[in-house]
Amino acid sequence: MTNKNIFKELGASGVILAFLMLLPILNMVGPDSGLFSVSAFQLSLWGKYLTFAVLAMSLNLLWGYTGLLCLCQSLFFALGGYMMGMYLMLMIGERGAYKSVLPDFMVFLGYQDLPIHWAPFYNFWFTSAAILWVPGVVALIFGYLAFRSRIRGVYFSILTQALTYASCLLFYRNDFTFGGNNGFTDFKDILGMDLNSIETVRILFISSVVLLFLTYFITSFLLKTKLGKIQQAIRDSENRVLFSGYSTANFKLGIFVLSAMIAGAAGALYVPQVGGINPSLMEAAKSLEVVVWVAVGGRGTKWGPAIGAIFVNLLKSYTTQAFPDYWLIFMGGLFVFVVLFMPQGLIGVYNQLKEKFLKKEGTVSV
Amino acid sequence: MNKPPVFRDTPFILSVEGVTKSFDGFKAINDLNFYLEEGELRTVIGPNGAGKSTFMDILTGKTNPDVGTVTFHRPDGHDVDLIKLKEYQINRLGIGRKFQTPSIYASHTVYDNLLLSLNRARGILGTLFYKLNSEDEDKINEVLKIINLTTSKSRPAGLLSHGQMQWLEIGMLLAQELKILLIDEPAAGMSDEETVKTGELLLSLEGKHTLIVIEHDMEFIRQIARRVTVLHQGSVLKEGSFENVKADPEVIEVYLGRQTRAEI
Amino acid sequence: MYRNGFSLLFFGLTFLATIVLYGNSDERGPRDVFVDLILADKSEQSALIEEMNEFGDPIIAKIYEDWRRGKIFSLETEASKEIIYIDERNNCYSLLTGEVLEYSEETRENFNKERIARALRKQFKGLIDTLGLKSINAKTRIKSAIKLGRSQKAEYIEPLEKRLAIEENAKVKAAIDEALAINLLKNGNETQRLESVNRLAELKSIAAKDFIEKILAREIDAGKSNEPLALACSASILTIESHIRVIEFFGSFFRGLSTGSVLLIVSFGLAITFGLMGVINMAHGEFVAIGGYTTFLVQNVFISIWGIDHPMFGWYFLVAFPVSFIVAALIGIVVEKGVIRFLYRRPLESLLCTWGLSMMMQQGFRLIFGAANVQVNNPSWLMGSLNFGGFSMSFTRLLIVALAILVVFLTWALLQKTNLGLHIRAVMQNRNMASSLGIPVSKVNSMTFSLGCGLAALGGAALSQIGNVGPSMGQAYIVDSFMVVVIGSVGNLIGAGLSAMGIGMVDQLLQPYLGPVMGKITVFFIIILFLQWKPGGIFPTKSRSLDD
Repeated sequence: MTNKNIFKELGASGVILAFLMLLPILNMVGPDSGLFSVSAFQLSLWGKYLTFAVLAMSLNLLWGYTGLLCLCQSLFFALGGYMMGMYLMLMIGERGAYKSVLPDFMVFLGYQDLPIHWAPFYNFWFTSAAILWVPGVVALIFGYLAFRSRIRGVYFSILTQALTYASCLLFYRNDFTFGGNNGFTDFKDILGMDLNSIETVRILFISSVVLLFLTYFITSFLLKTKLGKIQQAIRDSENRVLFSGYSTANFKLGIFVLSAMIAGAAGALYVPQVGGINPSLMEAAKSLEVVVWVAVGGRGTKWGPAIGAIFVNLLKSYTTQAFPDYWLIFMGGLFVFVVLFMPQGLIGVYNQLKEKFLKKEGTVSV
Repeated sequence: MNKPPVFRDTPFILSVEGVTKSFDGFKAINDLNFYLEEGELRTVIGPNGAGKSTFMDILTGKTNPDVGTVTFHRPDGHDVDLIKLKEYQINRLGIGRKFQTPSIYASHTVYDNLLLSLNRARGILGTLFYKLNSEDEDKINEVLKIINLTTSKSRPAGLLSHGQMQWLEIGMLLAQELKILLIDEPAAGMSDEETVKTGELLLSLEGKHTLIVIEHDMEFIRQIARRVTVLHQGSVLKEGSFENVKADPEVIEVYLGRQTRAEI
Repeated sequence: MYRNGFSLLFFGLTFLATIVLYGNSDERGPRDVFVDLILADKSEQSALIEEMNEFGDPIIAKIYEDWRRGKIFSLETEASKEIIYIDERNNCYSLLTGEVLEYSEETRENFNKERIARALRKQFKGLIDTLGLKSINAKTRIKSAIKLGRSQKAEYIEPLEKRLAIEENAKVKAAIDEALAINLLKNGNETQRLESVNRLAELKSIAAKDFIEKILAREIDAGKSNEPLALACSASILTIESHIRVIEFFGSFFRGLSTGSVLLIVSFGLAITFGLMGVINMAHGEFVAIGGYTTFLVQNVFISIWGIDHPMFGWYFLVAFPVSFIVAALIGIVVEKGVIRFLYRRPLESLLCTWGLSMMMQQGFRLIFGAANVQVNNPSWLMGSLNFGGFSMSFTRLLIVALAILVVFLTWALLQKTNLGLHIRAVMQNRNMASSLGIPVSKVNSMTFSLGCGLAALGGAALSQIGNVGPSMGQAYIVDSFMVVVIGSVGNLIGAGLSAMGIGMVDQLLQPYLGPVMGKITVFFIIILFLQWKPGGIFPTKSRSLDD
């Protein structure tokens, strides 16, 4: 990478950071109405988009750079979310509708005691660790089995989709101790801070920005190392890597677990900002949506997936309001269009346009 | 693997004994025996369906034979049974393979293609903390010179010509510092001039490495052939010098005859 | 509307009744006996009840009920006494003929309410309870026998025995036999009870299991656990339980067969398109829905032409099959030409693109047909089931199994016996070679894709008979179908067939023990483990080149 490109990338990251930090600042000191007003609602909405952006970036590690189209990213996201949700449910304490130490849904379902695996989630730090290791372990077990038996390409996609489907069925069950259909909701506070207070909203938003940049730095660091190069080599020609003395199964497994952990962390920040979680978050279609964010933004680019996630979600919230009956058709059409005509996504279009106007040699990766 | 060296009692580096592999009752390899001396350049020929590719697959661990043994005789005198090993483990022993269609990392530069092929730091943590040192740099530059791609070293490999990709892949094998190189149709899709150059390259490797070359192109075989093995219906039909093999009536019948007739 | 329907129905019934009465004018029917009974003295009543006992006509119960509720009146005229029945809407009918009678308000004031004597009521009670036994309908007789047996009332033993002696239908005979034995379990003497227990074990009576268990419990409580009755009870419970297990197994087996058949029909198309073109069609489920909706539309056309009660309506389903196939195949061609064509051998891109299509199609269905499920009626010839000793197979599910066999046969014939099939196989094996041999590859592609879509729609048409037809009906099967394709090895139809049946069977055999959700999850894990053992599916492709 030339110095010029490094500066461009730094510039792009700087612009993104500046824009994102502007939001909480405007929320704090900005006007109450008009173009520059940012309400608490909008701030947590953007916080939600940022967790989606991180989710997209985690998939990009797999699909964009390693060539593994994983359709269980939403499962990892939801797993992280559920871990955080357990902590938040326990923090409600006796303020629930049934005034019981147990979460409301447990009272409702007739539980006498707290299930044993819930108990450690009173501890925030245990929860924080679980947010990473639970999705990580699921990815480790499934990935070990899948990569060991050389499940590749579209078979991997199909099996991960089935994993998501099976887990989703499991979480819909009432006796799975995670609230069944309704999942978790009515959270009160996190680490003693009221979830509805503007300060907490700001802190959660800034945490999301931090996670976004952390993911960006992890991705950038990986790409610079030989490991990152092996990743891309696996994408281009897995057999060559295998016959060059690398255990591709181990590399894929490592990336898979890392990606699952990042997705889990994103999910954990999603839950307090949205105020609830239920199994619909891990439906197979959600995973495909993540793939679409990455495709729209530009797979295999550093910022593309994040931009894609935010772009598609902004578009979604606009079209669901403006054309409630037609937005699915609109979104479906967009995906078909992107796959057929924009293989590099928005970033690719940006680069193409730039090339056309500047008539310069070589493309620039953002 | 670090056993003390023992006396090496064989001139061979590889012996394949009594190997059979069948797919749905069809014996792609049938009771094959094959021995390879260290430093040799062996050419393997045979008509389509003779089992050449399956043979390669068995040597590199992609396919497990139904019966038989494949033994690698290490320089330190220890023998290794290749059948139980995975592809990457066999590669780490020093057996590398070039595929029929060039298989390179299209989005990496030529330089990175070679860098990834060096035989070091091949575990996850190893690659994560790998730092390029001057010794590795020298090795890459040396290979670049051999395969004549020094000027294109920063280009993405996907932009090379077909012949250059073939060379790059051979270069990637060289960077691995292998004991045995298995090379599948290196001249496929090359111009005459490129083919001659490829032949020279392979001949220059003889002695330093042990090579098995699978080829169809008779002109090319004439150029590089030392000892030739003719495979037919999954077993060795004939083995000997190119001239001997070419003159053998059986070989002419099953292979050369057909080939020359088809060429005319 | 309903009222009209009812009065129409009632009119129809009366009309029929009139014909029947006129047709049998020389024979005495229940109506004649009723009229006589109402007019008779106490002394004559017993004989008349006896006579009534000969009939199995359900009208007896109805007239008796009306009599009891005071809806029967008499009107004395000079010539005779007319017995009149008045319905809820104050219409008068002749009890004797069922004809409508017109009376003025003044005449009505002369009506005398006919009351039923207490003694008579008692006699009628037994008569009506056993009425079903004498029905001309064998099913009614069986139902009645079962009821009489289960009630375990001593007074029913005699009618049951009577009927058993004259019954000719073997099934009814068996039912009565069983009912008698169950009844005697309670009311018989020691020997009879013992005999009954043994007899019920012979009959493998599932209905008797609870009764026998109760007896056994009582005997054990009474400390008679080693006496013949208790021993016979234990033995017969064992026999019956093993019979229940057999039936349950066959039931699960049959459900597995039909679930597998659905999967097979749905996944065959998927296997063909994936094997041939390397295209993963995520919109396959929506083509299933097209089949369901087409069936719905064909049904509506039949209703609007002939109406739902017309015998022709039953045949809509047979028309719906080819129509579904053609509609989906045509849409398939459009999709192939518009989108899929650009995605050959790019399975990941095709997966995304067809998912976009699937979203659009689902929403399209919602806009056209509404978000709720639409109503598809089973034709009458598909209602009911085939029964073998307590184990029943519904016709709809049997039809689906038959359809799956048909689909397998047709696909096989198409691939093996036709020119298109030859081309498809050639392209499947080697695309470039086929193309250079002059096979019109792009035409073969669109034909194959539309074939796959057509097969999906056949699946949808079949599903309309056992499940809901709605915008997302295809989604329920799509994940399973993908599993079928993966397990059965891509592009291998025999493999797809075997794995569809295997997954269907395992799913249904596990369900009784684990429930539907855990069953599905277990199946998924079995699939993952299976792939550890055979990563390429049942019939792995013997690709010898490494660079696929």
